[in-house]
Amino acid sequence: MSIKKTYSTLAHYLSVTIYSIKMALLTIVEYPSNILGWLLSNPIQFLLGFAAIRFAVEQFGEINGWNYGQLAFLYGISVISHALSMIFFVQGWFMGFYVIEGEFDRFLTRPMSVLYQFFFTNINVFGLTDLIPGILVFLYGCVKTDFPFTVTNVVGILVMLTGAVLIRGGIYILLGSTSFWTKSANDFGQFTQEIFDKTTMYPLSMYPESLQLILTFLIPIGWVSFYPTSELLGIEHSFSTGNMGVWITLGVGIITMLITGFVFQTGLKQYESAGN
Amino acid sequence: MFSKYLFVYKTRIIRSFTYKFEVYGNILMQTIIMITTSFFWRALFQDKAFGNGITADSMMTYTIMSSVLSVLFITGVERRIQESVEKGTIAIDLMRPVNIFGMFLAEDLGSITALLIQNLLPILLLGSLLIRFPAIVSLSAIPLFAASVILSMAINWLLAAIFGMWAFTAISMDPLYQAKKHLIRLLSGSIIPIWFFPKRLAGILNLLPFVYIYQLPLDIYIGSASNAEIYSRMLIQLSWVLVLGALFYILSGKSLKKVLVQGG
Repeated sequence: MSIKKTYSTLAHYLSVTIYSIKMALLTIVEYPSNILGWLLSNPIQFLLGFAAIRFAVEQFGEINGWNYGQLAFLYGISVISHALSMIFFVQGWFMGFYVIEGEFDRFLTRPMSVLYQFFFTNINVFGLTDLIPGILVFLYGCVKTDFPFTVTNVVGILVMLTGAVLIRGGIYILLGSTSFWTKSANDFGQFTQEIFDKTTMYPLSMYPESLQLILTFLIPIGWVSFYPTSELLGIEHSFSTGNMGVWITLGVGIITMLITGFVFQTGLKQYESAGN
Repeated sequence: MFSKYLFVYKTRIIRSFTYKFEVYGNILMQTIIMITTSFFWRALFQDKAFGNGITADSMMTYTIMSSVLSVLFITGVERRIQESVEKGTIAIDLMRPVNIFGMFLAEDLGSITALLIQNLLPILLLGSLLIRFPAIVSLSAIPLFAASVILSMAINWLLAAIFGMWAFTAISMDPLYQAKKHLIRLLSGSIIPIWFFPKRLAGILNLLPFVYIYQLPLDIYIGSASNAEIYSRMLIQLSWVLVLGALFYILSGKSLKKVLVQGG
């Protein structure tokens, strides 16, 4: 393939992505009352949720060496990465419906890679309503911990968030891809979220070691927020990441996505159109 | 006169036993919540005790019983109203020779009855096996606990029904359901008890109905409040049942006149 052709293909994909974002933004205009409702409900969930944790932790001073300022930082990172993963990858939660309703037909008939279409053209603007409380709690944590906004730290946070979103999105779509084989529409979204909430908003070190090992090596949830954040805040724990925490998070994110991409492609071969 | 409602109730129990995934799903969800929350309390308490004599062990009981109680607070009335308005079947529901809210209540009670076996028992068993057996503080607390749970269920259902009446005017309800769910979850003591909250905030919350859904029965169960305190709080709980009951009565008459029927 000539360089020119590659270039034009890339430009085409880019323009489709931009159109998807534009279309997604238009949904705000389409459902203004709906988005207002989420603007009310998501901040309630996360701001009140953090306040309640703070009240309990304040009574005891700290939990596993984390004071509430540091917890706010961790909680904020967790909610921000949740919000970003909701914007880009929430479709993983609904893959069962895509499969049994025959929705992949639409993607298959278009002259573009199905993987690209499914992963990158479903943009969910409602995720923005999660981002606001996430940023608020995060900034609160930064103030309480006197977090220095040096270039290294800012780059570190951005690298960590990128990795975290890839890990989350990868796991959502990996779980969703099981629908290609099971052909059922069981919605695992709320369980996944509950597990992610409980393991990324709180220090992972409060769980027993066996569980920590699983959440570090088998299901890489520990890398979403716990390891890179404890490194950024200088909190010690049993497992040293040697100043590379945020980069490991990015690496783990990329690996998770590659595995997910492979499973998705394999699963797609199992897909047989359903419905009508 | 009640036989009609009894029939709805029975039908609902039979129907409930046909939906499998939702049922196991909730057990899984509550198990995740129980286990993670119990590790949180262990890490927080270590060997210390909180002011009112609460230890990590009493928090385990609190957590398990909160999950167990949550089964009794599952209501379908809001979704039921929304769905029947969206599909237009509300017209048929209104034609039936029963009070529509009486029917919704019978349906919810039917579901809860089925859930006692499908959900409450498994959650209690899993909690006992995986965490610890949630023993009540003393046998003499059982009648008070039972009485306050019944009042809790009344508050919870009335709130759901009053809230669900908004759906009669056919607006998008999903975010509002979520908002209500989170408010109840966080302000009722279902996960983090209100006694950890700052005094003034706790004082305000004690005037709102939410704490009378989870916190009061759980306080009775683990014995974190004196008897005198419990009696006075049960009085407030009873008052909320009456206030919400009156509000429900007034609003249900009004809202039914405003029903929008679409689809069909």
